[in-house]
Amino acid sequence: MKRVEKWRGEIPVTSQYTAGVGGQKSWAALKRKGELLGTRCPSCAQVYLPARLFCERCFAELTEAVPVKPAGVVRSFTICYVDPDDRQLERPYALALVELDGATTLILHRVLDVDDAAQIAIGSRVEVVLKPPSERLGSILDIAGFRIIS
Amino acid sequence: MASEPRVVRGTQITAPEQDEEEIFLTSYAPRLSYVWDTGEAVGRYLAELKEGKLIARSCRRCARVMIPPRMFCEICFRPTDDWVYVGDSGTINTFSLCYVSWDVRRLKRPKIPAVIEIDGASPGMGILHLIGKVAPGKVHVGMRVKAVWKPASKRTASITDILYWAPLAHEGSQ
Repeated sequence: MKRVEKWRGEIPVTSQYTAGVGGQKSWAALKRKGELLGTRCPSCAQVYLPARLFCERCFAELTEAVPVKPAGVVRSFTICYVDPDDRQLERPYALALVELDGATTLILHRVLDVDDAAQIAIGSRVEVVLKPPSERLGSILDIAGFRIIS
Repeated sequence: MASEPRVVRGTQITAPEQDEEEIFLTSYAPRLSYVWDTGEAVGRYLAELKEGKLIARSCRRCARVMIPPRMFCEICFRPTDDWVYVGDSGTINTFSLCYVSWDVRRLKRPKIPAVIEIDGASPGMGILHLIGKVAPGKVHVGMRVKAVWKPASKRTASITDILYWAPLAHEGSQ
């Protein structure tokens, strides 16, 4: 008799993550007011977005909330041609690391209406496009993406 | 022993209805697909299940008949020798009334997992499976049971080709 050689199975794992004390403040401001709220380090002047509880550089406690403007500059980008399972995408999309005006950290998100490297450059100015208030859930996905303005 | 709860540093969240503020949670379920090698012995065991048969391996030195089958005798430290078909009836060696599902949801009717010593295998040789068609309060160690198989067309070469084990008639099945 031919033996069964393989056994296939799935391991069901479902996790729930909080945004942390700092992230909670940023996503609450984003969801309720459509505002970007970061935290400023009083000793080294870093401005973190999303907000953090302590400074990663000098370990100071961060208590000072500061608004960050919904526009900034592309510091790095990539065009994605495959999905996380390595399957070819019908339409490529762009991801960018953006330094928003007023923040010193970079935030990663999609760049809307860009599917080719010729349409974007390091140094491009972008604005933040929010989802409508009814669709916001309190996460980074309440931002629909960045849109190039120059 | 001190029963004071351990103090954990950090920020605790409580049940959603107790929080003054809505806590934002992100759910994530990774897709974890695995393929395991069954090995020689279990590969044959699974193929035989599809035929509605239970097969064991015997060791000529210690004369044990082992199920689930294995290619190596862990007592004699030598390869096992022969394939041996065993019965699809047996005796409950131990059991549990399980009122929670595998993901810890409450069950109204308990699942009854049991180790069943298989007729034709050596004493103490058993497989873990489910008991059915019996009131939970009636199950007992030593109870005689028989496999209830899926119809042949529905079998997939899996241990679930046996649906459950039902008490033999004289055990007062329902």
